Amino acid sequence: MLKYILKRLALCLLILLGVSLIIYCLIRCMPVSFIDDKIAQMNQGGATIPQETIDSMKALYGLEDNSFLGILKGYGSWLLSMLRFDFGTSFKYGAPVIDVIKDHMGVSFAVALIATFFEFMIAIPLGITAATHQYSVRDYVVTVIVMIGISLPSFFFGQMLKDIFAMKLGWFPPSGLIDASSDLTGIARIFDYFRHMFIPILTVVILSIGGRMRMTRTNMLEVLNSDYIRTARAKGLSEKTVIYKHAFRNTLIPLVTSLAGLLPSLFSGAIITEQVFDLPGIGNKAFQAMISADIPFIMGYNMFLALLSVIGVLLADLMYAWVDPRVKLQ
Amino acid sequence: MENEKITVADASPEVKAPEATEPHDKNVKLMSPTQMVLRRFFRSKLSIVGLVMILGLFLFCWLGPVFYTQWGPAEQDSGGKVEYTKTLITYVDDEGVEHSFYQVVETKKTLNALAPMDGSHPLGTDKNGYDVLARIMEGGKISLTISFLSVFIITLFGVVFGGLAGYFGGVVDTVIMRICDILMCLPGFPILLIVGTIIEAIGIDLQYRIYYLMAFLTLISWSGTARLVRGQILSLREQEYMVAAEAMGYSTGRKIFKHLIPNVMPQLIVSMTLSLGSMILYEASLSYLGLGAPEKYAAWGTMINSANDLNILQNFFNVWGPPGICIILAVLGFNFVGDGLRDALDPKSRR
Repeated sequence: MLKYILKRLALCLLILLGVSLIIYCLIRCMPVSFIDDKIAQMNQGGATIPQETIDSMKALYGLEDNSFLGILKGYGSWLLSMLRFDFGTSFKYGAPVIDVIKDHMGVSFAVALIATFFEFMIAIPLGITAATHQYSVRDYVVTVIVMIGISLPSFFFGQMLKDIFAMKLGWFPPSGLIDASSDLTGIARIFDYFRHMFIPILTVVILSIGGRMRMTRTNMLEVLNSDYIRTARAKGLSEKTVIYKHAFRNTLIPLVTSLAGLLPSLFSGAIITEQVFDLPGIGNKAFQAMISADIPFIMGYNMFLALLSVIGVLLADLMYAWVDPRVKLQ
Repeated sequence: MENEKITVADASPEVKAPEATEPHDKNVKLMSPTQMVLRRFFRSKLSIVGLVMILGLFLFCWLGPVFYTQWGPAEQDSGGKVEYTKTLITYVDDEGVEHSFYQVVETKKTLNALAPMDGSHPLGTDKNGYDVLARIMEGGKISLTISFLSVFIITLFGVVFGGLAGYFGGVVDTVIMRICDILMCLPGFPILLIVGTIIEAIGIDLQYRIYYLMAFLTLISWSGTARLVRGQILSLREQEYMVAAEAMGYSTGRKIFKHLIPNVMPQLIVSMTLSLGSMILYEASLSYLGLGAPEKYAAWGTMINSANDLNILQNFFNVWGPPGICIILAVLGFNFVGDGLRDALDPKSRR
């Protein structure tokens, strides 16, 4: 077991190295003059980026030297500083990259966590009824509704919900996380946050229920067709016991495992949804940074995402062995 | 001797055995595997609905412009509506009498922007005076073509790399699978945003940006298909018929492409159909974030992008609604067909 984990960790490092190399090469494809232009634009827009920050960034990434050796050296120096958890200072936000990520992760995390909770709570029962009533009207109705959910483009659906609930009905604020004039404190303030987050969460939940429900349905069907279920039925157990006691537990295996795989999406922020609702989450900040060539932030954010997904995959495998004793890690 | 062996090896009783071409019993209906798949596929109403939606969209996008010729996709309506502004002007003349009159100013707008839905524009015009209906047809062509192309290329890469990894195993397998691991951990959307910025920086014509972006997307997203193909081939490699193929001394290429790949096809077709939908969504999302083509060459996503303008979002559903509905129809259609195919191609599912 320990050997397996160590081996996997080594593999994770290799993957991260590969990802960092690809991202670095991409960044190097940007002409230096373009970056200068963008910085000049930001300076005009009121930001003050000291020249030495720019110079030290250029030195760190070796942007000036375009020979093969220069690129290698730049990559090496960047890698070294990353190993010391020094991601540099973001131009756009004028703060260390880690601080920017930390400050804005909360909103994204809250939205993703609540959405994931509701997603599982709604999708699992739906998937089970669809599976136990396979090919019935109920199965078709659930399947069709859920498929429509999968097929909705998030921005279109978000836009529509915003139009209906915020503009036409006025039940919820259309965008942002806090009203400019708001002076609420304590519980009222938190309640106000949730009021702002309601439509984004609704959007995410409806869009993601589909996949989870299909997964539950497929697993449940597979389990229901297995021999031990036939035995359970032959014993004369009630249908309820067969489904909720015998079948359901095995259906849960892939669902629980997929929880670990959700790790990246919990922290990375939903770029498009946050864009639609103008939430100050990490996805929104990253989008702004990426279109304005904020190199330290781009590198830091993408490595952060890669790290999360590597850990997510590893956790999912470990979880699989933990939940299902038949699986042996080697 | 050898010939005999071949017939034994690939004869399945319903298809090849000579005595089976004519049933002994009139009530027995013979069906080839393809017929069986087709029958199962068409038995599901959802897959028919999906098929109709896809075919309908294709006809709409490609045949639509043939019949709808009033406006071209890149033709701005500059016929211009005439707008009158009325201002009340009062002045007091020398004798102290107050006169008031209306000054009517006639302005000819050069662009017939955001026209309502009427006879000349069935779906109105957008803020640049383009006819929405014509644009939807043109945008559909772009979206559908891009998604088909990218799925085709992804499948090609996936089959080649997955096939190599699964068949040869060993070092080849390890290297390809590690590359897949790396690609899978690459954050897809952010990377595409960076590439979008790079394309802007290098100065490539923005008209073609979405094509470059999708090309890059195909380059980093074949890992899923490769894994699927590899997994299938690994299990197929151990089966008796492959041992037979080995014993016949077939070439490697023949073994891979004639004996292994056809058996992977069912899963491959399903995953291709399902990813067609996700490619359309990807393209639309990129366009929505402003990484698509400029308005004049716009695809569906860009058209929805205009709803970022609050005025358009609230008052002009005819500008951003129809393209959104088209996207939903396309993705839903592909998903229905893919789902139907999955059930039809799965030999275990008997109804």
